[in-house]
Amino acid sequence: MGNNLKNELDVEKSEIGVGVERPRSYTNILPYMLVFPAVMVILLLYLYPFLASFWKSFISKEGALSVANYEKTLRLYRYDILFTLGVTALSTFIATVLSIIVAVYLRLSKGWLSNSIGILYRLPIFLPFVVIAQMMRSFLAPHGTMNLFLAKFNLVNIENPLQLFNWAGLTFGFVWKQAPFMILIILGGFQMIDNSYIEAARSVGAKLPQIITKILIPMNKPTILIAVTLVFCSLVGCFSFPYMLIGGKSPVTITVDIAHRVNYFGDYGVANALGVFSYIMVSLLALYYVRSMMKKGLYD
Amino acid sequence: MQKSVFRKTIEIIIFTVFIFFLFAPLLSLGIWSVALRWYWPHTLPQEIGFDYWLQALGITKSLTLGAVNVIPAFLLSLGIAIIVVIITMAIAIPAGYSLAKLKIPALLKGIILILFLLPRAFPQQPVFLNLMLMFNKIGLTGTVLGVIFVHIVVGLVFAVWITASTFSSIPPEFEEAARSVGATRLKAFFKVTLPISTPGLIASAVFVFLTSMDEFTGTFFVGLPFVTTLPMTLYSASGSNIQFASVIAILLLIPSILFMILIQKFLKAEHLGGMGG
Repeated sequence: MGNNLKNELDVEKSEIGVGVERPRSYTNILPYMLVFPAVMVILLLYLYPFLASFWKSFISKEGALSVANYEKTLRLYRYDILFTLGVTALSTFIATVLSIIVAVYLRLSKGWLSNSIGILYRLPIFLPFVVIAQMMRSFLAPHGTMNLFLAKFNLVNIENPLQLFNWAGLTFGFVWKQAPFMILIILGGFQMIDNSYIEAARSVGAKLPQIITKILIPMNKPTILIAVTLVFCSLVGCFSFPYMLIGGKSPVTITVDIAHRVNYFGDYGVANALGVFSYIMVSLLALYYVRSMMKKGLYD
Repeated sequence: MQKSVFRKTIEIIIFTVFIFFLFAPLLSLGIWSVALRWYWPHTLPQEIGFDYWLQALGITKSLTLGAVNVIPAFLLSLGIAIIVVIITMAIAIPAGYSLAKLKIPALLKGIILILFLLPRAFPQQPVFLNLMLMFNKIGLTGTVLGVIFVHIVVGLVFAVWITASTFSSIPPEFEEAARSVGATRLKAFFKVTLPISTPGLIASAVFVFLTSMDEFTGTFFVGLPFVTTLPMTLYSASGSNIQFASVIAILLLIPSILFMILIQKFLKAEHLGGMGG
């Protein structure tokens, strides 16, 4: 009886086909069929317009192939290109230093203070830039909350408030949004470093600065570089925040110039040339990012 | 002993500064949304109330300059986001599964991965600009359908990432076990892999939902002036009426905060690494 059942099961098993391949053609094309729609969407709606910005930047208003757009871009916007680079580099630098300090603190400290910071700091990561833009508009305005607060403590003369709708406010907002994201990534890396390394260093007399510069940062270098890359690249391309904070004033980031070029002049050549400049700005870090993600596997 | 008191004091000072810079901008938004009269240079408004909230939510009529009823914009954003989530996940789940679990030649896989990394590495604004030119030719500029396409592109990259990483975290033995007792590949997927990966897939869907709700740059180029999603309304209110703009900003902020609470439960930090741009 038992044997019979076992035999029956075996028969059924082989009928259903454990280890028996489906018709080859089906199994072979299945992986491609599943990934095809996603790849098509990215090819058509991302890669094609991405590449179009290169060749459109070489098409003059008359439709001829020329470098006129680049001449015009450099003539009108070279200061804005430098401004974008400067503000982005400054914001990334401040966010990096700040996030390493906070991540070190969160890694090494225990107690309710560090626990509550460890939860609260994540808040800005999830806020979109358009909300942050409005927030900073009301916070950093000449009559805004920050100036009123500083005046209350006599740190600022209210008749002559801080003017922050410029590179300073932009940097403040960028750091406010991106430092928490960097803390998240860098802290994750720090937590991978075993306590025994830190204890060993302490036992031979290493002080905090040495632990940071000799253990935590060197052992966590790839993670920090990825964080720096992601932040720098996203800030170069950030449009809503500078557009709402600085708008038509000069100097402003090139993302705002692109929007003006399109909205007021319908000048797609120069707009695309500016776009190519923003690609060039991130190119080195972007290549580093793509390469290192490929190396470690996109989702391992 | 003295050293530890000193340390605690420093810690509390740093904590206070941290809390101030983290919450003061948020608080500023909250105060402005209820400020009825606020004469410079007073530190706080003279008169507060929810008048602007009621007007923005369409409960009371408003004649104020720059007044907007945000309900239609909110419903539009919500509708777009739901459609975008459905389409994006329908495309991303098979793609993520294929990349994580099935055999694709290394070279082709490499090209596909690079394709999905580019949008994260390079600025997207010039892409949207040329997408607008493409859409001009086929009449999609200024339509809801055009905006949906843009939001799908923005969300898809992240969705494929998160689903692929979710699927690849499931040991292959699970599906093999199911198949060894006779389940087809399809059945093994629906009965084993899909239920285990549900938290990751939900997280991915929520993320796509938020990118759509918050999307600014693509909608600015492809949607304006006809498709006014919530972020577009915020942008136009921002220049004219700070109270309305604050109300809309808070409305946009609520889903993000909810997401944060949700995400603490079932998304690991490694997933978060792909977010927040």
